[in-house]
Amino acid sequence: MQSRLMRWILVIIAICGLSGPIAFADLLGDSAMTYETVEPSRIKLGESATLRVTTLDGYLNGVTLPTVPGLEFEIIGHSQGVEFVNSISMQASYILIKVTPQIVGIFSIPGLTPKSPTVGLEVVSANAPPAPTVRLPKQIPPPAPMSTAPIPKGIQLRVNGAAFVQMVIPSRPVYVGESVPIDIELGVRPDLVTTLNGLPELKGGDFTLKDLSKKPLRREEVINGSPFLIMTWHSALAAIKPGDFSLSVQTPLSVRIDGRSAADIAFSNMLGWPFTQPSNQGSAPKDVTVASPSAALKVLALPAEGRPNDFRGAVGDFQVSSDVSTPQVMAGDPLTLRLHITGVGNFDRVDAPMFDHLDHWKTYPAKSSFTPSDPGGYKGEKVFEQPLIASATGQQSIPSLSFSYFSPTTQKYERAETQPIPVTVSSSLADSSLAGLTDTQSRSAGLKDATRNGLRSDHLLRQRSVSDLRPLYFQARFLVLPATLALVFAGSWIAQRRKAGPAHRRAAERALAELEAAAKRGDAAAFLELARAALLHSFAARWQISPEQITADEFRTRLGAAGPNIDQLWTMAEEAKYSEYEPSAADFQRWTTIVRGQLVGEDA
Amino acid sequence: MPRLMLTVVFVGLSLCGGRALADSAPPRYSSDALYNLGNSYARAGKPGLAVLNYERAALLAPNDEDIKANLAYVRAAAHVAREPRSRLAQLGETVAPVTAAWLGVSGLVIIGLGLNSSSVGRRFRRLRVICIPLGLALLAVTVSNALTLGPRVNDAVVLVHEAPVRVTPVPMGDTSFALHEAETVTVTAKHEDFMLIRTRDGRSGWVARGDVGLVVPLVDPKTPP
Repeated sequence: MQSRLMRWILVIIAICGLSGPIAFADLLGDSAMTYETVEPSRIKLGESATLRVTTLDGYLNGVTLPTVPGLEFEIIGHSQGVEFVNSISMQASYILIKVTPQIVGIFSIPGLTPKSPTVGLEVVSANAPPAPTVRLPKQIPPPAPMSTAPIPKGIQLRVNGAAFVQMVIPSRPVYVGESVPIDIELGVRPDLVTTLNGLPELKGGDFTLKDLSKKPLRREEVINGSPFLIMTWHSALAAIKPGDFSLSVQTPLSVRIDGRSAADIAFSNMLGWPFTQPSNQGSAPKDVTVASPSAALKVLALPAEGRPNDFRGAVGDFQVSSDVSTPQVMAGDPLTLRLHITGVGNFDRVDAPMFDHLDHWKTYPAKSSFTPSDPGGYKGEKVFEQPLIASATGQQSIPSLSFSYFSPTTQKYERAETQPIPVTVSSSLADSSLAGLTDTQSRSAGLKDATRNGLRSDHLLRQRSVSDLRPLYFQARFLVLPATLALVFAGSWIAQRRKAGPAHRRAAERALAELEAAAKRGDAAAFLELARAALLHSFAARWQISPEQITADEFRTRLGAAGPNIDQLWTMAEEAKYSEYEPSAADFQRWTTIVRGQLVGEDA
Repeated sequence: MPRLMLTVVFVGLSLCGGRALADSAPPRYSSDALYNLGNSYARAGKPGLAVLNYERAALLAPNDEDIKANLAYVRAAAHVAREPRSRLAQLGETVAPVTAAWLGVSGLVIIGLGLNSSSVGRRFRRLRVICIPLGLALLAVTVSNALTLGPRVNDAVVLVHEAPVRVTPVPMGDTSFALHEAETVTVTAKHEDFMLIRTRDGRSGWVARGDVGLVVPLVDPKTPP
């Protein structure tokens, strides 16, 4: 039983013993990805320090400022850079926080992210003596170098051997404006150099250096026993004035300074790796500028003697050639004249004069393009393209183009010329070869050929001009006229109808009154005659014909069902003049109703 | 009789006013000038611009035989087919649109006089029988002319060698087919720098404005292309 208990205790101790280092390693790993430094770590009251939060695992959008009694925090900016971790450069992002103390004391600033450790800041009074410097005991030797391999020629290690910069330029004299290649090498010890704070730049303003923003070539070398990461930029340099110059390149860096005591360093060296590596807690990054050894460069002025009028500053060795997009072209169609300038030199000053005016050709502005063949843009080809349109047919010749430059090799001005280019300008397909023509050209040429004999001749300008191609009846301003006329005529017609309506109605009512009076008198002849006359006038007005034209056939045709009644009324009216017809009161009433229906439209 | 005189004076004034109103803008186009321009482009080997100017000339003078002949000739030389016009269309094109417009106005006047003839006097009532059919006949000429030429107002001619017709009115839109130079299409809609066109065989799509020329320009240019 007791041995079983002991076995379990041993298992628990083993688990605790293993989990401790794992947790520590995890914590160490996290701290390596995000950490903070405060610079300087000892300040006087009234000064301020900068707290820099560095993260290697992504971009820090922001942090929550800590609350430390006696200290004020203020975010002053964000930045990005490169950190070297285990000889590997990594993208890093930084948050810079200004720390201003209110009181004297030693402060502990907690980590701003869950992964970052606590940092310390000592604030002393304004009149406090400076911090005591640590003097290395003489008996303790400095740390021995890892290797005794010699330093390559031309390299001067800076900042305790943490970095070096060197440049390679031509040793011969150069001319003003001449582009000369320059190689800049920056070597850094990744374990010491934490950040590259900028690109290499020339000291002094008498030279121009091409853009170094392109990614440099990288390689690793062991120099003086230490691993170095070496970055090389290939570029081009140009002098802007003559004279003797001392040229140098400098680069801003952040270097980690080992803050351990000499005794610690000696003890660490005795223990060997990894104890020889300076830890984060034991060192502080410091911004330094590393410069290359100076190199002398003689810059000569371009000679004034023999300078061509068309010289525009090109210095180098160039070759020229020209061609056209097609040697056969039809009048009115464009062709492209190309001038190729190849070689080495300052291509940014190469500006070839294309044609401003050319007889029998219409010229257009030229465009240029440069294709470098080396990383520094020192060698390559510049092509000028100018569209031309032939205005005359026949065998034409595009004259030669000339280009002037100064050659450092021959040390005099040179003129390069192209050969004239023959071009056949045709007006029709029949004049030129079919070979090589595009479909467009053949279609156009075929049309020209066809129209030579097939088109009808031009017109004399007889037709009067119009302002709008749309037919007149689709134009709004013309439509005003028929619309006005239609409105006027329609209005007139309606007014006429309205005027006629009441007159007819009054005449009908008058006739009906007379009819009723005759019916009361019992005068059948007068009644029928009045009825016939009223109907005759009403029909004539309605049918727009004269009363004389109205016949019995008209009644039957136009009145339909009422026709026989009216016809009978007509007959009775004729007979009533000669017969003794005496209708009853009911008959009078019936005939009155029939006539009223016809005169005023009421139902019978 | 005074009413008749008043009517005649009113109609005369209206016609003069209408004519002045119709011709108020400065003249720019003449069928002869457009025809000659078409000939120039044809001789220069530019069938698209030649057809465009012939089409414009034909819009002003549809019964001009020279225009018809050269238009057919250039189309044939450029390998562009065009369906033959119907008899009704040919009949409608016998009258120039300007003449047809004034014939229509005349028809309207005659119909109006016929309708109002009874108010002038009994003697003029018989005019109605003559005037109304005559006026309607003149209006029919105008309507048939408008029906024939109306669709051509929305025509456009392809000016480039090959104009891509896209599914959508954007430069990166998929191309469904291509139009050939001198081909005539109908524009049915416009959207920014593209026009929705319909070909004679019924296909439709969006084509860049710069690739085609409208027979009747959207904004009248100072000088025709």
